Amino acid sequence: MTRARKGTLVQCDPSIRALILRMDADRNDIIYEELDDTHLLVDPSKVEFIKYELNRLLSENIYNPLDEEENA
Amino acid sequence: MEDEVVKRSYHTRSRGGKEKLVQDTVFSDDSLVTDDEEYGDIAPDIDDDVLDEEEEAELKESLMQANAPAPQVNPLLSRKSKKSSSSSRSAAAATAGSGMNHNLAAKDDILHAHLDDIPPDFEPDVVSGMFKTNDFSYLKLKPDHASRPLWISPNDGRVILESFSPLAEQAQDFLVTIAEPVSRPSHIHEYRITAYSLYAAVSVGLETEDIIAVLDRLSKVPVAPSIINFIKSATVSYGKVKLVIKHNRYFVETSQADILQMLLNDQIIGNLRIDTDAAVDAAVKKTMANKMVDAEGVDPNDVEAVFSAVVGANKELEEEDDDIDAVHAFEIDNASVEIVKKRCQELDYPVLEEYDFRNDRRNPDLDIDLKPSTQIRPYQEKSLSKMFGNGRARSGIIVLPCGAGKTLVGITAACTIKKSVIVLCTSSVSVMQWRQQFLQWCTLQPENVAVFTSDNKEMFQTESGLVVSTYSMVANTRNRSYDSQKVMDFLTGREWGFIILDEVHVVPAAMFRRVVSTIAAHAKLGLTATLVREDDKISDLNFLIGPKLYEANWMELSQKGHIANVQCAEVWCPMTAEFYQEYLRENARKRMLLYIMNPTKFQACQFLIQYHEKRGDKIIVFSDNVYALQEYALKLGKPFIYGSTPQQERMNILQNFQYNDQINTIFLSKVGDTSIDLPEATCLIQISSHYGSRRQEAQRLGRILRAKRRNDEGFNAFFYSLVSKDTQEMYYSTKRQAFLVDQGYAFKVITHLHGMENLPNLAYSSARERRELLQEVLLKNEEAAGIEAGEDNDSYIWKNGGNKRPRNKSKAVKSEGSLAGLAGGEDMAYLEYSSNKNKDLRDHHPLIRKMYYRSANK
Repeated sequence: MTRARKGTLVQCDPSIRALILRMDADRNDIIYEELDDTHLLVDPSKVEFIKYELNRLLSENIYNPLDEEENA
Repeated sequence: MEDEVVKRSYHTRSRGGKEKLVQDTVFSDDSLVTDDEEYGDIAPDIDDDVLDEEEEAELKESLMQANAPAPQVNPLLSRKSKKSSSSSRSAAAATAGSGMNHNLAAKDDILHAHLDDIPPDFEPDVVSGMFKTNDFSYLKLKPDHASRPLWISPNDGRVILESFSPLAEQAQDFLVTIAEPVSRPSHIHEYRITAYSLYAAVSVGLETEDIIAVLDRLSKVPVAPSIINFIKSATVSYGKVKLVIKHNRYFVETSQADILQMLLNDQIIGNLRIDTDAAVDAAVKKTMANKMVDAEGVDPNDVEAVFSAVVGANKELEEEDDDIDAVHAFEIDNASVEIVKKRCQELDYPVLEEYDFRNDRRNPDLDIDLKPSTQIRPYQEKSLSKMFGNGRARSGIIVLPCGAGKTLVGITAACTIKKSVIVLCTSSVSVMQWRQQFLQWCTLQPENVAVFTSDNKEMFQTESGLVVSTYSMVANTRNRSYDSQKVMDFLTGREWGFIILDEVHVVPAAMFRRVVSTIAAHAKLGLTATLVREDDKISDLNFLIGPKLYEANWMELSQKGHIANVQCAEVWCPMTAEFYQEYLRENARKRMLLYIMNPTKFQACQFLIQYHEKRGDKIIVFSDNVYALQEYALKLGKPFIYGSTPQQERMNILQNFQYNDQINTIFLSKVGDTSIDLPEATCLIQISSHYGSRRQEAQRLGRILRAKRRNDEGFNAFFYSLVSKDTQEMYYSTKRQAFLVDQGYAFKVITHLHGMENLPNLAYSSARERRELLQEVLLKNEEAAGIEAGEDNDSYIWKNGGNKRPRNKSKAVKSEGSLAGLAGGEDMAYLEYSSNKNKDLRDHHPLIRKMYYRSANK
């Protein structure tokens, strides 16, 4: 029997896609379908979580000179 | 309130408190504009000063106006608080003053001091709370603030300058003298007033009051009392204590007995003073060795006299300083010079190291002069004028961009002092360059020049001369060969007029700092392009060498054509999907390999090389990672040089690059960061680098700053940094750029290279090729990700940084044996277990190791 599910289409760079795949790897409840290199179909309720996680992961690669000053 | 006042006045009893109390009250009232009467009294004086000195009529007028409406501060408020506040505030100001006397680190002090400066009648407005301690709205804007270019932060002495203001140029000249440039992009400059920068200012002859007056004239708001106090406390004691070298021994001198007592009573310095008896002994020995001692009047009596606080006359200094007839001195050990200097700065009596070379008749003159054909550029002259400001040589540091002629500055300074010179640099290549430059620019004869490296151990035979050596040769503490020990004794055994420390930022490293005190030199000059270190030791240079005397503005030099105009760009290369997936899975070291070998990066590199070769540029590609260097170069069919390239081949490649039209691109590992001089190069591409090292970035840029074609119309050199997107590399890249951004360079971000896909024979264009590359990279072990052990001094810092993986070798070995066996009665060979560094480096083959251990266990 066919089953219909509501999904959110995410369009992103391949690298971001890789990050989302990695998030999904240990929980398996985010991605419904891997469409192609730049598109994913994900669970609409997890969109906020994805955004938050992406921000966290990507900010690790951003250098902020002010951080250092505050710590110093 | 009463308690508060009592508590504070207790503090004011400390040294220097009372005198300040009076001055500070006056100044704080004036600049805060809280009291109309007092303001009225003082304002005309200031106005007069301004009228005398101000050149621009426009500002003069506005200043006149400025003083008219200003006193309209709410009289009720200020009057009400006047009585109670004036006592408590002056006490507060004095606390701030004496506090600053005690600790020279100063920045923190300003921070606390300014809280006391808020006038009691100041009413915070609704948004004040959001700024917390950074609310400076009690400093009212002057009515003509628009025409004044400065703002000084009461918190930390940071100065913000509008560099587009008509007054900016004069303001910049002034600020470079009294403050340290922090950041100088095109529109807004940032400087910082520090104690060290103020010492430098005083030593070129600026008076405390002048500094404050000019700052006040340029500032948009009245100069905060915390800043005024700070300037006063830092400048008032400068020059009272001197460090002089006589006969290769260090003496601390002062003209005031009470200061000397204070220093001797200090726990740290007092203990470092060489004991009187010992000093006498030493002096007597010296007398035997050196007949000149008696003639000059430096003698043990002086030390004794000082000890009993009796005025001891010193002939030599009488000649030099007319106003100082009595000099008190005590001797300190060569080894403790650094500690004493540091402690003196903490005590707020920084030692002055000036060398009156014209009147030094004890050290023989060196026959050295600039050749008539030698021309000095204006900024070089300017920097030297800071060094020889009052006819004496001052120790300090001059900062000039790469390729702006640091060597010539050093040579000119040597020609001014005309005494024996020693030059220390970082590698044997630059030793040869210094020697050659000296012979090229000045009249020094080759027989007066000696080179001291691992290959050449020379001494000059004449009574004065020049020695060029490296830091590592002089700093070496391990066993030396007979020859090199002889040269070392020669270097340490005599007095030098002048020492030049090239690439002075390496000096604070634990290895090299002792160099400064082992060689007794009257004047020290540090030269560097990049006065930054990734550790916190850069400020140590202030007492190791001296203050920063001059720092050139890179942008200004490139506008005037002294260095090339460079376009900087950061090229973002997206990671391919396969590479990124592996990247996320791997550990840090392997990740590095993955983002360097990113196929997109390779394509970008290939594209840029082709593009610039077509334009007729000569290109250098830098890679710290040797594996990537080889992969890239071999794939693109370009020559490459790295640490283990033999000397002959290096020369061959470099010459081809310079003169052969067919070779327009070379790949260099970090051996090319410094000291390879290629004026032909006009384009740089950086594919991998030493983490977040700002200095490396600047030094690499320096490779194209002296481009031959820089004076061609509309010529631009190019500097590309290739970065893999969404990786750790982005972080390092931004960090690396910080120094250049502070110098005013703007990095353009290129997210897409137009036309890259259409490039014929583009590498790794098919998914299969990319997968093969990935396989290859993944098979590489972690060692390939490592950075080549370099020849320069970075690697020392790096090793200390602790990245070296600890070896789990147990130090002690237990084994059973008979007494006869241990005494050598059986056929057991003697083995040494002490860990030798050389042996650590050279690991044995597993097979040999196996046999070796088996025999040891027998």
